[in-house]
Amino acid sequence: MKQYPPDWALKFLRWYCRPDLLEEIEGDAYELFSRKAKESERIARLQFVWNVGRFFRLKNIRKRSSQNYNSTISTAMIKNIFKIFLRNFIRQPGHSFLTIFGLSAGFTSAFLILLWLAHEYSFDRFHADNEKIFKVMTHVEADGSYQTYDIASCLIDVSSVPEIEKLVGVSTGNRWPHELCFRPEGKPNECIYLSGVYANENLFSVFNFPIIQGDPNPLKQNASIAISQKMAALLFGSTVPVGKTMMIDGSREVTIASIFENIPANSSLQFDFALSYDILKKQWGTSEEQFGQNFFNMYVKTQSDVSTEQLTKKLNDIRVVTEALKAQKISYQAYPITDWHLKNKFEGGKNTGGRIEYVVLFGIVGILIAIMAIINYVNMATARATLRAKEIGIRKVTGAMRGTIAAQFMSESFFIVLLSTLLSSFTTQLVLPFFSRLVGEPISLTILSGWIPIYVLAFLIVVALLAGIYPSLMMSSYQPVRILKNQLSSSTTGSQGFRKGLLVVQLSISIGIIIFSGVLYYQLNYVTTKNLGFDRHNMIHIEPTYPLLKKFDAFKNELLKNPSIVGLSTSNSNPLSSGGSNTGVSWQGKSPDSRVEFKTIGCIPQFPETIGLKIIEGKSFESKPSDSVRTEALVTEEAMKTMGLKQPIGEEIKIGEATCVIIGIVNDFHTESLHAVRLPVILFRTPIEQTSAIYIKYQPGTTQQSMAAINSVYKSFEPSYTMRYNFQDETFDESYKTEIVASRLVTLFTIIALVIAIIGIISLATFNMLRKTKEIGIRRVFGASVMQALALLFNEFSLIVLLAMFIAAPIAWYAADHWLQGFAYHTAMPWWIFAVTLAGIAGLIAIIVWLQGMRTISANPTKTLRSE
Amino acid sequence: MKGSNIGELEELVLLTVGILYPEAYGVAVMDEIEKQAGRSLNISAVHSVLTRLEEKGMLKSKMSDPTEERGGRRKRIFLLTASGKRALEEANELRTQLFKLIPKMALQFRLC
Repeated sequence: MKQYPPDWALKFLRWYCRPDLLEEIEGDAYELFSRKAKESERIARLQFVWNVGRFFRLKNIRKRSSQNYNSTISTAMIKNIFKIFLRNFIRQPGHSFLTIFGLSAGFTSAFLILLWLAHEYSFDRFHADNEKIFKVMTHVEADGSYQTYDIASCLIDVSSVPEIEKLVGVSTGNRWPHELCFRPEGKPNECIYLSGVYANENLFSVFNFPIIQGDPNPLKQNASIAISQKMAALLFGSTVPVGKTMMIDGSREVTIASIFENIPANSSLQFDFALSYDILKKQWGTSEEQFGQNFFNMYVKTQSDVSTEQLTKKLNDIRVVTEALKAQKISYQAYPITDWHLKNKFEGGKNTGGRIEYVVLFGIVGILIAIMAIINYVNMATARATLRAKEIGIRKVTGAMRGTIAAQFMSESFFIVLLSTLLSSFTTQLVLPFFSRLVGEPISLTILSGWIPIYVLAFLIVVALLAGIYPSLMMSSYQPVRILKNQLSSSTTGSQGFRKGLLVVQLSISIGIIIFSGVLYYQLNYVTTKNLGFDRHNMIHIEPTYPLLKKFDAFKNELLKNPSIVGLSTSNSNPLSSGGSNTGVSWQGKSPDSRVEFKTIGCIPQFPETIGLKIIEGKSFESKPSDSVRTEALVTEEAMKTMGLKQPIGEEIKIGEATCVIIGIVNDFHTESLHAVRLPVILFRTPIEQTSAIYIKYQPGTTQQSMAAINSVYKSFEPSYTMRYNFQDETFDESYKTEIVASRLVTLFTIIALVIAIIGIISLATFNMLRKTKEIGIRRVFGASVMQALALLFNEFSLIVLLAMFIAAPIAWYAADHWLQGFAYHTAMPWWIFAVTLAGIAGLIAIIVWLQGMRTISANPTKTLRSE
Repeated sequence: MKGSNIGELEELVLLTVGILYPEAYGVAVMDEIEKQAGRSLNISAVHSVLTRLEEKGMLKSKMSDPTEERGGRRKRIFLLTASGKRALEEANELRTQLFKLIPKMALQFRLC
C-alpha cells in the first residue's frame, strides 16, 4: 500500500518554499517519510509535518517581490504617474473641476457636520470627573403618568448617601432676579442686563469654572459676588475690580470676591455672575421656611464609582425624599450630567431622546453625503477610463504589469482625495463663521482634540482606497491588444450595471434627503403659521420696572396718544412661553387624585382683548375695580371640558387657595410649542402689581414708529433704565430653535446633495453620450428625429430614477413620519412633495441630457461616423 | 576572507560529504553523521549547513536522476570543491599542529 504524507503540509511547503530549493527539500522530506512509514504511518506523518515546519526558515522562504527591476513601485514610476496625472488634470479642466468640486463639497459638508456633532457631544464634558457628576431629576406622578423636571428640592439632604461627596444647588432663570440691570462704573444712567445664578458654595469646586482672580470660594460669604471676565470688562473696563463693592438691583451692596473665566459655550449652565442663596432670599423677600419650598437645579458629585441605578435608588431613600415630598408623589432620579444636553426629553418618567435625534439624523446625513461624493468620484473616474484606454494600452505593451496600472490609478485617487481634503479643510475654515451663525452656536476647530483628527485621517485613507479600488481594478484589467486595436467593448469599459447601480444609490440618497427636508420644511411652515388662537403679530412685550407698573395707567395713556399703538395690557405669564403649568386648580366634582395641568394666567382686564381672544360665552373682564372677595376668571373651552362643567358661568373654582368665579368662556389657544398637547387655560384678574410684563399691540407695518414712540415714552418714565423688550414673534420662534436650526442645516445639505447628484448625472450623461455617439449618428442617418435621439439618451436614466425613487420614498416616508410624530400637532404627510421631487429630478435629468446631447445630435451625423 | 573559516558542524558536514562521494545528498549526509558521530540532526539543519557551504564555495551541487524512493523527485548531489578540500586540509592541519604542541605532561594521566 502506498502511503502519502499529509496533503496540507505538502501544500504549505510548496507555497512558501523557494522554487529552486523546493525539489530537494520536498524530496528529502518525502524520503524520510517513506522510510519511517514502513514502521508507523502516524509517526511518519507527524515527522513530515515537523520537518516541513523546521524547513520554514528565512533562507528557504520564497522572496515575494523579486529582487531587482521588478519592484512594483519606484520613485521614477511615482514621478511619472504624478506627471501624467497633472497633464490629464490640466487637459480636461472641466472634468477635473467637477471631480474636485464634487469631492470637496462632500468632504466640507462631512467636516462641518463632524464639527457640529463634536460640539454637541462635548457639552458638559469639560468638567473634571464629569462622569461622576449627576443631575437630580424629579418625577411627579399624576393621573398614572409621570411629569419630569430637571429640578429638585433645594433642601435635598444627601448626607445619608455616603457615595455623594458634594452637592451643588443652582437657581437659574432668565428673568428677575436672575437677570439684573448692572450699571457700568461711572455711568449711572446706563444699564447692562446680565444674567446669573444663585448657588450654594460648591458651585466652583464641583464644576470646572476656573477662577482667575480673587477668592477661590467666593460664595462662602453671603455678601459676595463672582463675576465673569466678560462682565468685569463690560462694567469696569480694564481696571481690576476684585475687592470693589457694587450694587445689585440698585439696592443691595455686594463685594466682588472673584472673577471667573467666561463660561464655555458647551456648558449647559450659562451665567455671568454668581451670588449666594442668602441674597436670593433677600431679593425674593421670603422667609427661610418659604425658601425651602423651592426647587432648583441640583447636582451631586460622587466620590466613588457608583452606578446611576444605585445612586437613583439611594436618592429615593426616605432620608432623601422626605414624607412631604412622598405625599406629592415625587421621586428622584440621578441623571449623568453629560447626558443632559443631548437626551433631555422625558415621557412617562423615561428618557425619550431629545437633541440626540437631530445629532443622529445629521450624522447619517453627513455619512450619506460623503458616500455620494465618493460614488461620484468612482463614476467619473471609470467613465474617464475610455479616454485613457490608449494610455493604459501603451503602458501595458511597454511592460507595465497589472499591479503597476492599479497602483497608478490608486495613487491618482490618493492625489485627488488629498487635493479635495486640502481644499475642503480650507473651505471649512472659511465657512465656519457662517456655519456657526447658521446653527446658532459658536463652533470652532478647537473642538477637534484627542483622537478625532486621527479618525478623520483614517477616514480619508479609507475614502481614497474605496474611491480608487474600482477604477484601478477595472482599468488595469484592460487587454492591451484590444485597446490598441480600438476594440473597446462594454466589457473593457467597466460594468455598465455597476455604474448604474452606483447612480441609483446616489440618486436615492439625494431624493431621500430632498423629500425629508421638504416634509420638515412643510411642517415648520405649518407650525409657524398655524393660528395659535391668539394674536402674536405686531406685538412686543416689555419687562417693566416696579415703579413703571405702578404708573401703568399714565404710561398707557401717554402711549395711546400715538396713533400706531393699538392697545396695551399686562399679565404675569407670557401666553407664548412654555412651562409653568399649574396642577393646583380645583373645582366642584374634581376627583381628589386628579393632577390635571392648567395654564393659569393672571392679568389685568384689558389683556384678553389685547392679545385677541374671542369671548364665546359670558362676558370679558370689566374695567371697574374688581370684587375683592371673588376673583373673576375666564376659561377656555378646553378647560371647560376638562372640568366637566355644563353651566360654567357663575361656577366657582379655586386656583391654589384663591377662589375665582367663571364669568366667561374664550376660544382655545396654544400656550406651548406644538410639540406638546394644548393645555386648558384659565385667565384670572390680578392686581397690576403682581403682573410681570407689559404687552403692547401696534398697527401692522408701523414697527419703526411704534418702537420709537414706545422707547421715548419709556425713557420719560424710567430715565435710568434701558428698556427690555422682545417681539412676540421672535419669542415664538425661540421655542422652535432646534427645529429652525435643523431646517437651516437640512436646507444647506439638501443643496449640497442636489449639487453632487447633478454632478453625478452630468458625468454619466457625458459618458453615455460618448458611448452612443455612433449609434445616434446611424439612427440620424436613418431618419430619427432629434427628439427620438434625445429620448434614447434619456431612456438610460428612466429606470435609474424609478429605482431610486422606489428605494428612497419609503425610507424618507418612514423617517419623516417618525419626525412628525414628535409634534402633538402636525400636518398630514404631504404626498405632493414626493411627486414634485420625482418630477423635479426627472426634469433635471432631461435638461442635463438635453444640454449635453444637443450638440452631438444636431451635428452632421457623417462627421461623427467618419471620425474613425 | 569570507568563508575561510568553518565551524565545527560545517567541518563535520564537509567531511561527511567527502566520505559519501559521489552520493552525498541531504538525507544521506544526515544518516552518515548519525552513524559516524552519533549526532542526530534534523534534516532542515543539514540542509541549511549544506546550502551555507555551497554559498561559501566549498561545495558544489548537481541534480541527480529521479528515484522511486523519493516519489520521483531528484536529489541534489553535493561534491567537494577545491576550496572545500583546502578548508578541510587547513582545519585538519591546524588541529594536528595544535595537538602536537600540547606538552606530553598534560596528556599523561596517572593514578595519583
